[in-house]
Amino acid sequence: MFTRHVSRQLAAHIDGELSPQKAGNAARHIAQCADCRAEREQVKYGMDALDQLAPVAPPDAIWMSIEAALRRPESSVREWRLAFAASAILILSGAAYWAVTHRPGVRWEVLRTGGAPVVNQKRIVRGGSRIGAGEWIETDSESRARLQVGEIGSVEVGPNTRLRVVAARPGEHRLALARGEIRAKISAPPRLFFVDTGSGTAVDLGCEYTLVADDGGNDLLRVSKGWVSFQWKGLESLVPAGASCRTRPGVGPGIPYFEDAPERLKQALEIFGFEKAGDEALRTILTEARVRDTLTLWHLLWRVDVEDRARIYDRIASLTPVPAGVSREQALKLDRGTLSRWKDELAWTW
Amino acid sequence: MLRLAIAVCVLATFALAQDFKFIIGSPVASQDFQFKSAAFVFRTEGCADPAKSQIGATAEGIVKGTRRSIALKVMASAKPGVYAVVQTWPAEGDWLVSLRGTCADANAGAIVPIRGTGFVRESSKFFSRPATDSEIDAALKALAQGDHK
Repeated sequence: MFTRHVSRQLAAHIDGELSPQKAGNAARHIAQCADCRAEREQVKYGMDALDQLAPVAPPDAIWMSIEAALRRPESSVREWRLAFAASAILILSGAAYWAVTHRPGVRWEVLRTGGAPVVNQKRIVRGGSRIGAGEWIETDSESRARLQVGEIGSVEVGPNTRLRVVAARPGEHRLALARGEIRAKISAPPRLFFVDTGSGTAVDLGCEYTLVADDGGNDLLRVSKGWVSFQWKGLESLVPAGASCRTRPGVGPGIPYFEDAPERLKQALEIFGFEKAGDEALRTILTEARVRDTLTLWHLLWRVDVEDRARIYDRIASLTPVPAGVSREQALKLDRGTLSRWKDELAWTW
Repeated sequence: MLRLAIAVCVLATFALAQDFKFIIGSPVASQDFQFKSAAFVFRTEGCADPAKSQIGATAEGIVKGTRRSIALKVMASAKPGVYAVVQTWPAEGDWLVSLRGTCADANAGAIVPIRGTGFVRESSKFFSRPATDSEIDAALKALAQGDHK
């Protein structure tokens, strides 16, 4: 019977690594084939000789070069893995941010607190609704609503009010008040909540306040806790608790004043702030100002020419000591650092 | 000559040194949004190391003719030496807050009358020591009589 030589299987046959069937075939062939038998003896001799060799430790240099060679591809792989992981994290973070900031599902809760307010053109008769960026809340003379501003506070929407949600993102909670009245209670760190009006933007600095806007874009801001910054084209009025500020479209925020300020001061301020009536109004303001009204005087510093500024500086200095670090020269130059330091010190009298 | 120089230096140091004292203000003065609901805030002056000063406060009041005293927790701001007092005393009755503090060897005290939910700046009193019981009682009596309005 013809069978193939088993030269390629001899080593495996000697080590017993062939399957039983192959090992049987090989054994039968070797028994009949003298060449294969002779070859098997040579292979077995060589393998036995190898087994007799004593192990010799290789030189350290060889291991170092081997290890270096092993490290090279591994660190390369690690770098690729790190790069891949970083890329994946970036992509996932971006996607998550996009999803949070753009998904239509980010909507704030609106509760009906009276009448039938309209949210996104749907009248709410019972319970509440939800509102997202670009949508409106409207109330008539009989209706009211409460808007939950994300996780940071709430806004009471008064009667006859039109209010739009401009942005509903974790870093920007922005409303636009077209008309009417809102009362905001915000418990977040400063500069997370904004209300745009026809004459500027009310920036929350950690506060509670009421904002009333008429159809002509005139606003009245009343702050009951904390601070509000009212801003328009680089003009800024800082309004603390207990103070109010009027604004006009095209003019921006007026000069803030405390609600308990003398009436004559408030009237003069109205004239001075928006009608530019000049010297007599300023004289009245300076005469009537109490220590606490340095809030008003400090803001006036920014809005007058240098001669009037000197009069205002001197009046503040006569009402309360000028702190260290505040010089007349720098104050009259409207040095921001100087006036900021002065404001921080004056705030202890507000 | 040396003695004279030392004496001048010592006198100058005393003359220039600021007394340790309290300055009170409305919550907005702290510029800390977390204090916006505080009854009032205060700061220390004349203390080289406010972190080592000891500050305490009690609410002292008369409710339906009964004298009451409540220990207050003074909240420290992130700004060194600035603190807030949050109302934890009952709305009923007449109340004032007694502040006391030490900085190194210096002492300071203050009596701050409370009206409604706010403090009465004009009637507040400041001392270079803790206010005495009789001073607190007198301030409470004046508060009850409406002298702080």
